[in-house]
Amino acid sequence: MSAAEYPGLPAKPGGRWKIWLAIGIIAAITAVTLAPGIGVDFSLDAILRNWRNGTEKIGQLLVPDWSFFPRTIAPLWETIQMAIIASVIGAIVSVPLSMWAARLTNPNPVTRGIVRTLLNIVRAVPDLLYAAVLVAMVGVGALPGIIALVLFNVGIVVKLVSEAIESGDPGPGEAARAAGATQTQINRAALLPDIWPPFINQALYAFELNVRASTVLGLVGAGGLGLLIDAVRTFYRYDQLSLIILEILVVVVLIDWASAVIRKRVK
Amino acid sequence: MTRISPETPAGAAAAAPAPWSIRLRDATVRYPNGVVGLNKISLDIEAGEMVSIVGLSGSGKSSLIRTINGLVSLSSGTLEVGDHRMDLARGRELRRLRGQIGMIFQGFNLAGRTTVLNNVLVGRLAHTSVARTLVGAYRPRDRQLAYEALDRVGMLERVYHRAAHLSGGQQQRVAIARALAQEPGIVLADEPVASLDPPTAHAVMGDLRRINRELGITVLVNLHLLDLARGYGNRLIGLRAGEIVYDGPAASATDADFERIYGRPIGDQDLLGGAASSASTASPVSLPGEPV
Repeated sequence: MSAAEYPGLPAKPGGRWKIWLAIGIIAAITAVTLAPGIGVDFSLDAILRNWRNGTEKIGQLLVPDWSFFPRTIAPLWETIQMAIIASVIGAIVSVPLSMWAARLTNPNPVTRGIVRTLLNIVRAVPDLLYAAVLVAMVGVGALPGIIALVLFNVGIVVKLVSEAIESGDPGPGEAARAAGATQTQINRAALLPDIWPPFINQALYAFELNVRASTVLGLVGAGGLGLLIDAVRTFYRYDQLSLIILEILVVVVLIDWASAVIRKRVK
Repeated sequence: MTRISPETPAGAAAAAPAPWSIRLRDATVRYPNGVVGLNKISLDIEAGEMVSIVGLSGSGKSSLIRTINGLVSLSSGTLEVGDHRMDLARGRELRRLRGQIGMIFQGFNLAGRTTVLNNVLVGRLAHTSVARTLVGAYRPRDRQLAYEALDRVGMLERVYHRAAHLSGGQQQRVAIARALAQEPGIVLADEPVASLDPPTAHAVMGDLRRINRELGITVLVNLHLLDLARGYGNRLIGLRAGEIVYDGPAASATDADFERIYGRPIGDQDLLGGAASSASTASPVSLPGEPV
């Protein structure tokens, strides 16, 4: 077959069947999850049956209640504050943890394994669940929200930054080791300077996520806009809800833009 | 052998550090994957020698260099640097000994995003507490040594530049300054000019020769180009399959000797060319500017 295309052309490597197998498995899993009885109760009928309901809500959402604006300022500001505080604390905590979780900066497999396992656990729990439990522990307000966000930030920043460290250049560290430095000195003097850009990138990314996340944490009583969202939703005030959504959108866009500017400068 | 005391007062910083000898006995390096780096090597290098080590890649020259500062540990045999047993040193003692041995790498191994000064100060870490390192508060004497080292390689004016913004030759000079800031008894160089163009390679080799001549430091240089090995070393050691197959004066090593070391005929690819290296015995006072 290959000889027909070009003399001396080697045979194509095998393994294309793997792609078809993967597609087949995904299709099978999808079919099973949709199957009545075993899978989730999912039908498009619900949309058709309730479409009048839906269009009514959408109609309300399209007409924001601007007079509601003054009441949203304080919770919005609280949400932003929560995001900032949690991002800064999370970032500071993440610097040493990232280094303990990466092979290049922590050659000891035991301590590295412990840090990585703890972080896997921290990351496995959703932020909303942290907030719900923390509200029960420390009471309603911004504090449980901030703690929940810090845990969430540490989970993702440490994972992403420690991966960036692994793929970094071991050369400067080797030079410092050859000069008689301890591991801590190697990390601080030779490796940290080159870790800053990925670190700042991921910390900013966490901050962007925090602004979104902190809006919903209030649903379980952890402060910020979420409390207000919960209130207006309970009273079916979709016109007020749409104003809140608009405000979140503006804030998120502004913060994405600001962090893009910072990222560009860090490069 | 006299030791360099870290408590030397600042005024005496310019004093030449005492060079160290190197003594290997039946030294074997076997890597975890079974590859033998060094095979029962016995070698004496006197304090203050300038030694070229040649061999093909995989011949064990990197293993030899890295064994001397303990980056690679011996599987069997003994290693003395100065009057210290390097092979037995662990932890604090190992770091103290490494602090007296400078190392220069093919890839420069500088932290690119920080300043030239911070990179040179890495050479002072063995004499700096962890607390001082963490906050970056190096002692005035350590800074002084860094400035002097940079001045010696002609890079003082770049002290606040980012390392990554320098050319390859300049980066290697900063790396030499980092090694000099250690006030070392030995300087090890692992293919220091393999990533440099010929004129820059000669300038860097000239720097290493000056370190040896003016400061008396024992210098070991891994090379694969025979004209550099012959021109800059006083003594030549040839390695093949982890064993010493040549040991003698560098200048009188013949092409036939190199063919025996390499196990194949010598060709143009084994020569760098460029400046007449063996003729320019007078060390330049100021280094030539960077080409490119």
